Amino acid sequence: MIELDEFRAKAGEWLHSVKAEFGPDARRGLSDEQDLALGRRYMAARYDAGLAGINMPVEFGGLGLSGLHKIVFDEQEMPMGFPSVYFGISLGMPIPIIMRYCEDKQWVRERVIAALRGEEIWCQLFSEPSAGSDLAGLRTKAEQDGNGWVVNGQKLWTSHAHHSDYGVIVARSDPSVPKHKGLTYFWIDMRAPGVTARPFELLDQSVVCNEVFFDDVKLTDGQRIGPVGGGFGVAMATLMIERYVASDPDGYGPSVSFFMDLAKDVMLNGKPAIEDGRIRSAIARNYAMRSGLDAIRSRAFLQMEAGLEPGPEGSLGKLVSFRSRQKLSELAMDIQGAAGLAYDSEATTTHDWAVSWLSAPTGRIAGGADEMLLNTIAERILGLPQDHRPDKGIPFNEIPV
Amino acid sequence: MSILYDEAQEAIAKESRRVLDAQFDKDKLLGLLDGTGRFDEAFWKTAVEQGWTGLAVPEEYGGLGLGLLEMGLIAQSAGALCAGAPFLTGNYGVTQILASCTNGALKQAWLPRLASGDAIGVVAFEEAGAPLPSDPAVKYEGGRLSGKKAAVPGALKADFAIVWAMSGGKPVLVLAELNAAMSRAVDSFDNSRLYAEISFDGAEAAVLFEGEAARCGALDCLARMAVVAAHEQMGGAETALLLARDYALERKAFGQPIGAFQSIKHSIAELYGLVEVARANSIHAASLEGQGGFLAAACAARLSGCEAYDTAARDAVQIHGGIGVTWQLGLHLHMRRARSLSIELGNALFWEDLLVTELEAKAA
Repeated sequence: MIELDEFRAKAGEWLHSVKAEFGPDARRGLSDEQDLALGRRYMAARYDAGLAGINMPVEFGGLGLSGLHKIVFDEQEMPMGFPSVYFGISLGMPIPIIMRYCEDKQWVRERVIAALRGEEIWCQLFSEPSAGSDLAGLRTKAEQDGNGWVVNGQKLWTSHAHHSDYGVIVARSDPSVPKHKGLTYFWIDMRAPGVTARPFELLDQSVVCNEVFFDDVKLTDGQRIGPVGGGFGVAMATLMIERYVASDPDGYGPSVSFFMDLAKDVMLNGKPAIEDGRIRSAIARNYAMRSGLDAIRSRAFLQMEAGLEPGPEGSLGKLVSFRSRQKLSELAMDIQGAAGLAYDSEATTTHDWAVSWLSAPTGRIAGGADEMLLNTIAERILGLPQDHRPDKGIPFNEIPV
Repeated sequence: MSILYDEAQEAIAKESRRVLDAQFDKDKLLGLLDGTGRFDEAFWKTAVEQGWTGLAVPEEYGGLGLGLLEMGLIAQSAGALCAGAPFLTGNYGVTQILASCTNGALKQAWLPRLASGDAIGVVAFEEAGAPLPSDPAVKYEGGRLSGKKAAVPGALKADFAIVWAMSGGKPVLVLAELNAAMSRAVDSFDNSRLYAEISFDGAEAAVLFEGEAARCGALDCLARMAVVAAHEQMGGAETALLLARDYALERKAFGQPIGAFQSIKHSIAELYGLVEVARANSIHAASLEGQGGFLAAACAARLSGCEAYDTAARDAVQIHGGIGVTWQLGLHLHMRRARSLSIELGNALFWEDLLVTELEAKAA
């Protein structure tokens, strides 16, 4: 296996060689569709460069390297600002799940390679209007129909569904048992009759999320993943799959040094803001917090390198970094005075305070709201009890609504 | 980059905690709060027996020649049990300054005694709320010191002090032997820290560093001590967190453990976040000892250590409810120690400024 340092150098060299072609300058002014097309070209180029599917098995078209190799690549790719966002979920969760569960290996291999090349995109159809944090409360139905299944219902918040060729979905196959026990997991063809994806705008006018409707969508039993009634377990496995995710102590927003540059430029009471004690305090506090997350990340990397399980403190990254980003963005807007009112929708999250601020709430909610993360820390790490759950053990169709 | 502890370091962590657990006596610690002049003698005896006093003393002077990582582990164990004499950090500080100075006679006089636990040294830098004043009022002239240093940790039992003073318009670091007549006890909310006001009043002293070298040496010493203290704070914060967690599991109200209420469990989970950030920063800073970036890392460790311990002590008391504010439960030992450790070595405001100055210098 290629050494990490050698791989880091190889990845860095390639990423820089395609910066002009796929970087922020190339993306500026593109429509969503044009940006996606550029993203597909980027993924194909990455595949051809031998840098795709880093920790995926060779038999499915991956490189068969370690999770650490993947992190090494991702950490270098992240700051480049390439249009890879459309493929993150696709390759992060559904693709590993079909590799793990699906029997038809040849079909899986075709899907994996198409997804790695950006030719096909997969989405994850989990959340619903009445099932967000409480995933097992979902209501989309999968009813047995001859040898197959019929799906009816609605999903919500599905990222990139409007660009997706396939999806993985959890649906209720038996409402007469308690909520976690009556779910079944499938893969689904997003072009099949009866599937309708409707994108909608988030508060920053980004169009990522969809509501997806299912009207008598027919599935074969071969599309089932895991046992009937075992859907919640597969869903949990999907969410746990990404042990090797690059995290960002800046919460994917601007860095503390970017804030310091601003604080040197703007004036406060006739002096550069950076000389003001309140501003210095904010800088120091945010730096200390983020350097702690960075040290946690480094230690986790060393643990994995040594073949150890990284500690559970890695789960703090998202919780701490997004809060830090949100508040620092507010302060950065404040100290600019009237100039802080300006908004450039073309600017990037890492280099514009208003853009960072406006999308920060999404980060604190998507993929586990702060409150759920605190519950998880309290319950899984510290052994505190679950909340009172009045719906526990009750058949789903008898839970009062 | 951070580090993973090696086997020897893991053993220090485990063994120090085991030894201190075995001698933990809450009633004794509560008794020490009652008056000035007494400290946790059993702890210091253990520190001497275990060789912790010589841990960071160079081998040529009878020590083990280990570094901040190992000192930090001892401090973490001490902090976890509210144990510890103020000399743990103070002796480490004076050892660093002595070891880096060029006065062979003073090194020979003190370092072996520090290693064996026979001598106690304190660091007396602060004046009027400034941890390292640019123009200290304590003066050094003609080989003698004049002026006062207020509430120096450990001073009541110390044999000597390394003092930040002014000499002919330049700062100096000087070593002065202390005697009982020079120290006046300060009655404190955390009396086992042995705070005393030192009046130098013409005491003889010897120069270790002058001018810019004195300033750099003093700052490096403060930063190193802050990293030791950050480990102690993190150890204390973790204990407060675990006490709160245990109580939230055991105490029932409205028919369930109070730990099932999100107001309680989220506050405990937040403490976990503070403790882990403090731990990561402490280990990171200790691993950078003597390297570039150490000062900024020490500042970050100091800030997250203060925040973690103050918050964990405060919230652990709150989560305990009424029982938390009783003398006998002793949670206030953590409240007190969190505050004393946050004030000794300079408050967070000082370290915030220092950190930003350091980051500005790095960016320039």
